[in-house]
Amino acid sequence: MRLEKCWFCSSTIYPGHGIQFVRNDAKIFRFCRSKCHKNFKMKRNPRKVKWTKAYRRLHGKDMTQDSTFEFERKRNRPERYDRNLAENTLRAIKKIDKVRVEREARHHALRMKGKKAKEHKEAQKELEQSIHLIKAPAVLQQDPSLTLPKIQVKVSQQQSEENHAMEE
Amino acid sequence: MVQYNFKKITVVPPGKDFIDIILSRTQRQTPTVVHKGYAISRLRQFYMRKVKYTQQNFHEKLSTIIEEFPRLDDIHPFYGDLLHVLYNKDHYKLALGQVNTARNLISKIAKDYVKLLKYGDSLYRCKSLKVAALGRMCTVIKRIGPSLAYLEQIRQHMARLPSIDPNTRTVLICGYPNVGKSSFINKITRADVDVQPYAFTTKSLFVGHTDYKYLRYQVIDTPGILDRPFEDRNIIEMCSITALAHLRAAVLFFLDVSGSCGYSIAQQAALFHSIKSLFMNKPLIIVCNKTDLQPLEGISEEDMKLVMEMKAEAMKTVLGQGGEPTNDEGVLLTMSTLTEDGVIAVKNAACERLLNQRVEIKMKSKKINDCLNRFHVALPKPRDQKERPPCIPQAVMEARAKEAAEKEKRKTEKDIENENGGAGVYSASLKKHYILSNEEWKEDIMPEILDGHNVADFIDPDILLRLEELEREEGLRQAVEEDDDFEMDGKELTSEEQEALAEIRKKKSLLIQQHRIKKSTAESRPIVPRKFDKNKEFTTKRMGRQLSVLGLDPSLAINRARSRSLSRKGRKRERSPAYDGGDAMDVDVDTPKKKLRARSRSLSLSRSRSRPPSEVTPGEGFKDSAQKVKAIKLGKKSVKMRNKDARNGRGSNNDVLQSSRQLPKFARSYGGSSSIRFFIRRFMVAASKEAGNAFWSDKFTFTSFSLPGYMLFWQF
Repeated sequence: MRLEKCWFCSSTIYPGHGIQFVRNDAKIFRFCRSKCHKNFKMKRNPRKVKWTKAYRRLHGKDMTQDSTFEFERKRNRPERYDRNLAENTLRAIKKIDKVRVEREARHHALRMKGKKAKEHKEAQKELEQSIHLIKAPAVLQQDPSLTLPKIQVKVSQQQSEENHAMEE
Repeated sequence: MVQYNFKKITVVPPGKDFIDIILSRTQRQTPTVVHKGYAISRLRQFYMRKVKYTQQNFHEKLSTIIEEFPRLDDIHPFYGDLLHVLYNKDHYKLALGQVNTARNLISKIAKDYVKLLKYGDSLYRCKSLKVAALGRMCTVIKRIGPSLAYLEQIRQHMARLPSIDPNTRTVLICGYPNVGKSSFINKITRADVDVQPYAFTTKSLFVGHTDYKYLRYQVIDTPGILDRPFEDRNIIEMCSITALAHLRAAVLFFLDVSGSCGYSIAQQAALFHSIKSLFMNKPLIIVCNKTDLQPLEGISEEDMKLVMEMKAEAMKTVLGQGGEPTNDEGVLLTMSTLTEDGVIAVKNAACERLLNQRVEIKMKSKKINDCLNRFHVALPKPRDQKERPPCIPQAVMEARAKEAAEKEKRKTEKDIENENGGAGVYSASLKKHYILSNEEWKEDIMPEILDGHNVADFIDPDILLRLEELEREEGLRQAVEEDDDFEMDGKELTSEEQEALAEIRKKKSLLIQQHRIKKSTAESRPIVPRKFDKNKEFTTKRMGRQLSVLGLDPSLAINRARSRSLSRKGRKRERSPAYDGGDAMDVDVDTPKKKLRARSRSLSLSRSRSRPPSEVTPGEGFKDSAQKVKAIKLGKKSVKMRNKDARNGRGSNNDVLQSSRQLPKFARSYGGSSSIRFFIRRFMVAASKEAGNAFWSDKFTFTSFSLPGYMLFWQF
């Protein structure tokens, strides 16, 4: 039993899921679900489809090269069973996973580093430019602070007075 | 080979049919239509063609007959003689000769008549010439009719002759009638010859094939021969004589020792001696048949003497070949076809003798060298003194068998399975024979998948080392990163700012939404101009609310809007006393009373008041009343002249009707409505509908009015 990778989105395909397509030149395409399969049939390039791992790696959203990836490699020659080796391997897998996850988080954080400053700058600019949408410039001149004006409900009383005048 | 295959001769049609065939072919394959009006050369050609065509066909067919029938001199003398015996050579030759002459005659006829036709001067003459030519040809054929019938019979018979190859190995069986020749051939070959108690059951030659030493032998059964002078022999006997004479075969002379054939041994011996000349150079075997009825030892002395004489003769033939003189067993044999006793021996002996003779002859001939060159028997060179026979010796085979039986049988997995309950109950442990460094590990179950990874991808003998390295790296990196912290952004938005920002964003998104709605439905829905405002969106209340949200005081704007509204104009009376901004009221004070009264009468109809045309209402698009007045003037001016003419527009019809086609449909003539009055009424009705029609405006003076037929000229 082997867990394969989906050709389109690069997620793992667990047993009992997905479809395998064998082309006439004997190349095998495995898909994790019909979404990937249908995208493939539409001849979409996974490198251009935003949610796939191929895109993310290509555009630097996810970590590409790392020593933790070297540990996992498809070996074609089976090794003779050794209990100690098996135990060690199992423990190692967990540790490697931990390390890898940490590194990915770091990569992500690095990517998002300048976000706060940028957002702040944008907010300031917006406030400056679009304040007229919520506060009239005339009012702004009188009261330069950014407090929003309160809504005043105007009731017109003059109408009834006039009518009385007419009747007379 | 033509000589031996008489089945391929084409059918010879009888005389009449022959004629019919040829003539009908001529009729079909040549043109048939001719008129006397054609050019004479054409007529001549037409008939010449027919004559020639017929002659050609006759020639062809007769030639095939002549060629396909075998020439008795050219074929193997055996067949030649056989055919002569059966059909009489002379008659045969005669028949074929007649056919040949017929052919020549027909050619001559055709030639002559074609010559005559060249000078035929009319259709009739040419035709008669042709008829004569064809008629003569047909007569010729009629004359050879009997020959043709004879040839046909011969052909049929020849087709049924047995296909005997005169050059191959042949065994000939001869003897008196009823001695058992056919039974013998039935026994050794697959032939199925009639065996009956009466003499001359076999009336012609029969062929069977048998095998000996991987070679095929022909066995020929002949009809019985009686002891008669040569000239008295009938056709049937002559067949066998022919066969004996011409075929180089081993001869089996059958002798009936029991006498049940009806002839004594003496008679048979006499026959033997009379035809012994035919046995020259042929391996001869004397076969004593029917020994079940009378064994050879039991015959009388005289008969024995006769038999011995025969044997002596037979020995001579052996001697003549240079064989061993002492071998007399190969010469005289006994058998019984009924009990099948000795049949095979006879066959073998005959075949053997024949084979030897043939080989000897071949050896003596010059061709032997060619043959010898082609043979080569390869023997392996012995490499040591050990003898290696081609087959496993019997002793060795037995020893091996014994060994195999003694060897112990290993306990197989299948046996274990059967012990422990059979196929469905016991499942063999496949890991039993694993080779591992520690025997305890054999039954271990290793997981193949862990946390979404294949464990097999990670297995590596030095995984521990690499893992250590990795951890060291990681430790280093973490240490490095603890040093440089992420910059803490001191700047933060105040709560006021945040509120404002949120409001701005909300407003923006609302605007965008509205815009999108408008954009998406704008093409399909008609846009009502704002001034009609059917949804009552543009109210002062709304305006007031929006302005106050922005922080402005809306009262001024509201008042101004109200003062300039359309409905306001109609309501000026109600607003008169306490209102400051009503300018209309001022105007009204100065106007005369009459107008005031007129206006006050229509108090209830506040909306539908007529107002002076120079009055500018807001929303019309004029700057002031002067501009509006000017615009009205211009408009009136442009339509003044046309109104005077009472026309629809510039494009309306200037002239009177040119033709009735220009009339409306009902005004044209239709059957039924011939009443003038009816016509005119309809006409007037229609005309009145088209106001401003030029026809009507011409004050009804129509002098030339092109109505069809029955309308009178009218004059008002």
